[in-house]
Amino acid sequence: MSSVVEPERRRFLRRIGQWSVVAALSTQFAGVVRAFVPRVLYEPSKKFKLGKAAQYPEGVTFVPTHRLFVVRERNQFHVISAACTHLGCTVEWKEEGSQFDCPCHGSKFKADGERFAGPAPNGLPWYPLSLSGDGFLVVDSAKTVPSTYRFAVV
Amino acid sequence: MSNSLRRLWRWVTWTWNPASEREASTAIVENLWLHWFPAKVDEKSFGWRYSLWLGAVSAFLFLILVVTGVLLMFFYVPSTERAYWSIKDIDYVVGFGWLLRNQHRWAAHLMVLVVFLHMLRVFFAGAYRAPRAANWLVGLALLLLTLLLSFTGYLLPWDQLAFWAVTVGTNIAKEVPFVGDGLRFVLLGGTEIGQSALVRFYVLHVVVLPVAVSVLFAYHMWRVRRDGGLAVTDPAAAPLPEPSPTAPVQGKTYSLFGVTPGTSLETRAARPQADDAAVASSPHLLRRLILVFLAVFTLTIILSLISGAPLEEAANPSVTPNPAKAPWYFLWLQELLAVTTIRLGGWTISGGFVGGILIPGVLLLAAAVWPFLDRSPLQTVGVWFPRERRLQNSVFALIALAIAILVLIGVLMRGPYWQLYWPWQAWPQLPSRL
Repeated sequence: MSSVVEPERRRFLRRIGQWSVVAALSTQFAGVVRAFVPRVLYEPSKKFKLGKAAQYPEGVTFVPTHRLFVVRERNQFHVISAACTHLGCTVEWKEEGSQFDCPCHGSKFKADGERFAGPAPNGLPWYPLSLSGDGFLVVDSAKTVPSTYRFAVV
Repeated sequence: MSNSLRRLWRWVTWTWNPASEREASTAIVENLWLHWFPAKVDEKSFGWRYSLWLGAVSAFLFLILVVTGVLLMFFYVPSTERAYWSIKDIDYVVGFGWLLRNQHRWAAHLMVLVVFLHMLRVFFAGAYRAPRAANWLVGLALLLLTLLLSFTGYLLPWDQLAFWAVTVGTNIAKEVPFVGDGLRFVLLGGTEIGQSALVRFYVLHVVVLPVAVSVLFAYHMWRVRRDGGLAVTDPAAAPLPEPSPTAPVQGKTYSLFGVTPGTSLETRAARPQADDAAVASSPHLLRRLILVFLAVFTLTIILSLISGAPLEEAANPSVTPNPAKAPWYFLWLQELLAVTTIRLGGWTISGGFVGGILIPGVLLLAAAVWPFLDRSPLQTVGVWFPRERRLQNSVFALIALAIAILVLIGVLMRGPYWQLYWPWQAWPQLPSRL
């Protein structure tokens, strides 16, 4: 029904109409996609309290609830993650060899978390410690510190 | 009285058993279920030795999975506190719940295997060549969806087996370059495997992925008809010239709503079906499909009676089972990623990336482009192991064999700490809790 050459004005208006539909749909789609990226995490905080410093014995103590090891040398503490850096399995502390062994693919780490065998790409990370107002050890698993880190408690 | 009963019976069932050629053609449009099929099918398509009916078997396994899956949905609860116990209910309380769950699990494992074998068959027979290359790609997509369906379903029992298999799997997803961390974050709905992850995997498993499979399956079937049927019906004689579409002829078009005047259909068949080689779909194709379905169903029932779906201890994020294995169809990946960590001086490339993403990615890509690179003569299409395709068939078979061997090693020979044991060797006793 249109004439051989569509008048400029009509074509322009038609294009505006079409692109506004595209814009509307794209915005809605983007909104839907964004909804799937969580805004609030119902997970325990990455910074959490452990026990009081005094209750940890000398040596390596596994804390199963948070998947980490608390290591005490006299009054100096440090915390090593128990999640293998390969694919996330929980490593085990072997007293006899003074090492951490991962049951999943055989990665092995020295007492300071450094990897020496297996497919894990990196060593076990260390987390910083602090003391809460009521005297509990607080771990911040969102940060990492080098293996020279020690937290002294007097 | 019996005469009208007989007439009633005939009225209900005539489409399944047409009395004449004409009735056979009309049956296809008169019956809702039959409209999927062409009016006639080339007899060569029925050959058991050609296709092993693997495509049909996988489709029926999917049907069994959907039906048993929907029934299971009435009893399963996708909550981290209740999932495990709802599975226990299904196994021990719900009437024949154990049979339902076992059949679902067996059909799932069989479907992964059969889809893989179907892919092998299509490759060995060269049935992926143009014009079937698009269908080959759709088939690869269906293979991926099958694996994803199995993987998402694997988490739902929320036992140790499920939890740690998904830990390994989602940590592999993290190894995708650039988007890995974000991908894992959206997949899990967080940083840890918890309630968000369970619900996301559940919805993917029961709605999104089955719908995707159904849509692609419909296209896959339609495409077979559009490409002129199974490749075995293509002439294996001298190469034919590029078929020119027949000029539309004034004729009749049989539509769902009746017969209308129109133009004839245009198909891409290399040669139109010779009438003497084609038989009516109803009842010939129908009967064979029913038989195949019965065989598949019976097999899943027998397997369900013999061996039950496993259920380990309830998921415990603090305790990693030793060994912790991925589902069997991913064990070849787990074997690869345990040995492919590359260290060059200061640089380390994680095995999770090389074995878990790179190698399978390259294999998938190679499979996807092969139909466009294959230069073997067209007479080999629809023929098993023709001499001209010996090299490519051998390479493909070798890769498939390597994958199968890695899976077997992972299943039978990997023990605690991922050490190798002979299948008959006892594993060392390990404390079950740290």
